[in-house]
Amino acid sequence: MGIQTEEMMLNMGPQHPSTHGVIRFVVKSDGEVMTEAVPDVGYLHRSIEKIGEICEYNGFMPYTDRADYLSAMNANQGYAMVVEKLLGLEIPERAEYLRVIAAELNRIISHILSLGAVAMDIGAATPFVLALKEREKVNDLMEALCGQRLTYSYVRIGGVSYDMPPGFIERSLKFLADFEPFMDEFENLVPENKIFIERTAGVGVITREDAIAYNLVGPNLRASGVDWDLRRDMTYSVYPKLQFEVPVGVGSQGVVGDSFDRFIVRIKEIKQSISLLKQCFAQIPEGDFLGEIPRVMKPAVGECYVRTESSRGDMGYYLISDGSKNAFRVRIRTGSFTSMSIIEKISRGMMLADLVTFIASLDVVAPEIDR
Amino acid sequence: MSSGYFNNIKEATVSLFNGFAITLSNMFRKPVTLQYPDKTPRSVTDLMPERSRSWLKVEMPICTACLNCEKACPIDCIKITTEKDPSGRVMSGFDIDMAKCMYCGLCTEPCPTGAIHFIPEFERASFSLDQMISRFVPEGEKVVPYKVPKKDKDEEKNSAKEEAEDKAAEAEPDA
Repeated sequence: MGIQTEEMMLNMGPQHPSTHGVIRFVVKSDGEVMTEAVPDVGYLHRSIEKIGEICEYNGFMPYTDRADYLSAMNANQGYAMVVEKLLGLEIPERAEYLRVIAAELNRIISHILSLGAVAMDIGAATPFVLALKEREKVNDLMEALCGQRLTYSYVRIGGVSYDMPPGFIERSLKFLADFEPFMDEFENLVPENKIFIERTAGVGVITREDAIAYNLVGPNLRASGVDWDLRRDMTYSVYPKLQFEVPVGVGSQGVVGDSFDRFIVRIKEIKQSISLLKQCFAQIPEGDFLGEIPRVMKPAVGECYVRTESSRGDMGYYLISDGSKNAFRVRIRTGSFTSMSIIEKISRGMMLADLVTFIASLDVVAPEIDR
Repeated sequence: MSSGYFNNIKEATVSLFNGFAITLSNMFRKPVTLQYPDKTPRSVTDLMPERSRSWLKVEMPICTACLNCEKACPIDCIKITTEKDPSGRVMSGFDIDMAKCMYCGLCTEPCPTGAIHFIPEFERASFSLDQMISRFVPEGEKVVPYKVPKKDKDEEKNSAKEEAEDKAAEAEPDA
């Protein structure tokens, strides 16, 4: 006689070590196999967009750090670009280079932390500590550059707040020289590990069609085989002057778009960022780091949307100006929010332990979901 | 089928020991951690970089009471109170609520004399929010704002001109 079973509703989160912040998943499961996992977002809503209507244009810059604290430089850059577009400001070339240097450094540490977190959620603690160790080195560089380790607010409307400190290029190149062997070691440690492959290969497969239909962005989209990078396809800043490849998921473990592919795409992106940084350090011109900016920022009535490639993909800022000192409306579009929408579909029939892997491989940052 | 089974075990064992070798090699490398706070070669505040944004300090002798920092702060954690005195305009209070401060540095940028700036000190945690308020004007006292000397007249002129432009910009009706 069989055991009588019935479907059970479980709460995963809001406080759960593997949800990377305060997110709740309503999981319907029969034993280990889930029939559904519905994300319940909104626990970290801080009304950042509303604050943007109260602050002056410059004063909103520190809040963009908090929108995505793991890649604050990219968030800063996007906001500065949208206000500059609205004001019609030209910014000095050195400032553009400094922004790209900061953004790429930030992309490296954001991705390395994400890689470590995937390994951590699967149960391997060592790679996470190794990733944090490298992250601290970049944090030291960032602290020398702008004085903060996490919420940088380095970019200003019209340029950046500081020039490079003396010896910054040498320190950064030394870090990159040490970092490349570390990446080889990391690859040897994690993606070549048989247990890691078994846990991630074929888990949470997002097909190319689904990825486009659900509006995935950034590394998650590229891992599904879509060759799309805003830095190349809708280029901005100094990216047209730099050479880089866009890594795409190839399905090295059989299926394109599984958790393993997302992991590998991030590793390849880190390598591209290293090459971008070296090119930037070689090309950076002399000049001002902050351009001429109006003392009172009052853009003409109008609206404007700017998309940038942040660590978690397409980060868009939409701004409406009514001609006053404050913005009429600030809207931030982030990658983590859209990647939450696909979880419900992919999680059907998935094992509960695989859900943890899947969420980690999407590189979701909770404050970026809700803002 | 069975060869696949044993292959799996072999691969798992090899990659596992590969990982152990990397972990073991870390044992013989130089430690990256630093014992805090009393085992560092110098005091921790000396180890902070020059630009470190830690705690705000105001040099009262050169503060002009222009209120630029108060206006620039996005969360209004700076509070300056000025009074009319027989000798002129005096500051009776300059409080910065460091518990609210988010260390963005926007207040330090418009300061005309560089009076408000960051110091690399950060070990000032406290048990009550009241103690987090930095009071730069002692209670009951009054501070006369610094006046830019005559030799900087050109600069002053420029700033006066800019102020006039500001006023003009403010007065403009919203388009």
